[in-house]
Amino acid sequence: MTAIALDGLVKDYDGTRALDGVDLEVAPGEVFGFIGPNGAGKTTTMRILVDLLRPTAGTARVLGEEPRAGGPALRARLGYLPGELVLDERATARELLAHVATVRGRGAERIAPLAERFDLDLDRRIGELSKGNKQKVGLVQAVMHRPELALLDEPTSGLDPLLQREFLALVREERDAGTTVFLSSHVLSELEDVADRVALIREGRIAVVDDVAGLRAAAGQRLDVEFEGAVPAGAMEGLDEVRIDGARASGVWRGAPTPLLARLAGLPVRHVTLRDRNLEEIVLDAYRGDA
Amino acid sequence: MSAALREARWQIRRARRGLVGWAVALAAVAGVYIPFYPAIGGDQLQGMVDALPPELSQALGYDRIGSAAGFVTSTVYGLLGMALLLVLAVGTGARTVAGEEESGLLELSVAAPVRRTALVDGRALALVLRTAMLVLVLFAASAALVRVSDMDVAVGGLAAGSLQLWLFTTAVGLVALAVGAATGRRVVGVAVGAGLAVGGYVADAIAGLVPDAAWLADVSPYAWFLGGDPLVAGVDPGGVLRLVALGAVAWLTGRTLIGRRDLGV
Repeated sequence: MTAIALDGLVKDYDGTRALDGVDLEVAPGEVFGFIGPNGAGKTTTMRILVDLLRPTAGTARVLGEEPRAGGPALRARLGYLPGELVLDERATARELLAHVATVRGRGAERIAPLAERFDLDLDRRIGELSKGNKQKVGLVQAVMHRPELALLDEPTSGLDPLLQREFLALVREERDAGTTVFLSSHVLSELEDVADRVALIREGRIAVVDDVAGLRAAAGQRLDVEFEGAVPAGAMEGLDEVRIDGARASGVWRGAPTPLLARLAGLPVRHVTLRDRNLEEIVLDAYRGDA
Repeated sequence: MSAALREARWQIRRARRGLVGWAVALAAVAGVYIPFYPAIGGDQLQGMVDALPPELSQALGYDRIGSAAGFVTSTVYGLLGMALLLVLAVGTGARTVAGEEESGLLELSVAAPVRRTALVDGRALALVLRTAMLVLVLFAASAALVRVSDMDVAVGGLAAGSLQLWLFTTAVGLVALAVGAATGRRVVGVAVGAGLAVGGYVADAIAGLVPDAAWLADVSPYAWFLGGDPLVAGVDPGGVLRLVALGAVAWLTGRTLIGRRDLGV
């Protein structure tokens, strides 16, 4: 059984096509990153998975069931963090989380340890909490009952870098405890350390699905080189996105670096760097439709 | 405990601070009108009303102001107390589903392992209980003040008026809730709820003035509430039945329609 299986998923609303035939499979036990710019369809997909929205066409299956047919029994097996989290400002975090635990029938015993871990004051009214602290409340309610599948829409937004790291450590632990995690972000760097696989969504379609290492390999490495005098003819052969400016040149090299190094060794090089392209650049490729 | 009851308890718990404020306001309404009846009431007040054009005094419901029960009806139960309760019921009804959907607050509740129908049931029940608590406060304050002022108003009449006030404001609030649940738009819920209350009031006034339009009283929820003059004549079974039916139809409509659409878009 797949944790999530989307097949030709289409969603129209207000006259626009938010999802335009999304195909995606998430395996049980993996941490799956869902990357895309705002408006690409990440939140729409998440909302279909918890039956807030109904597909226009195609099918979505969550833990083997369609969200609408699965109903409360299916949602009991899920954890959900909305992308635009709104919580009852009048309640305290303790009251709200206790209520959620009552509704779910489990998870109450993890409220205190998780709150302590994220340094969350349970006895303040939610209206008095900062955005980051509200986000902590949202995270706690999404994972405290150890769901089979956690759907986390932009979970790290509003968290400072230290808390982001703590949160990602929690995601790994939940995965190790058996939870499948499907989490979205508009920046890949937030997820590259934790995601087993990543899908890039753009304009309602999946552009790429791969693991982080695969994306990195496809992305190649960026060469920046400065020569003694003008760039020799043929020096940049076989590279993509070549730019030449006087004695300096840059480009993207894909594949094993040995031939490139051998070529450069025979040329009057003053300075050279060869580095992995960061994943943001890869994502940009995909957004442009290159990948 | 069923999901709907749990939801109702949570809604009431969340609103407990506001509820105290409304209770104080309603007790104050009784407090600013009823004690003045012995000083200005009876013939003196009747004389003032007699000086008004009869159509005006009838439309305002002042034609019965000369008696003690009529005075309490015209000022508290049929006017300011009713208006406050309508504001609460319509506001709460429209906000509890549609307003929370618009703000995003409903998203976590709907994603929880609870049926949408149970969310509507629980919130409708919370509305019914909140208006009941507030009407009880108004009843208790009115009964105490009537007794202190030694006015000729039967406690049974006050109870009948309170029952019908509760059913009227709750039914209108449930209409606002249902329209909100069906459309997802708070303002539409408020508009339809307020329109029903005001429209019913106007229809009742016209029915009293224009003999050919007397049938309007049959379709006016306001007339179902006050047309039988419950503070004087006691419970009006026909009115009670219609108010209960209105609330029940609204509730059933709302719980059915919310299951059929996208939420929070």
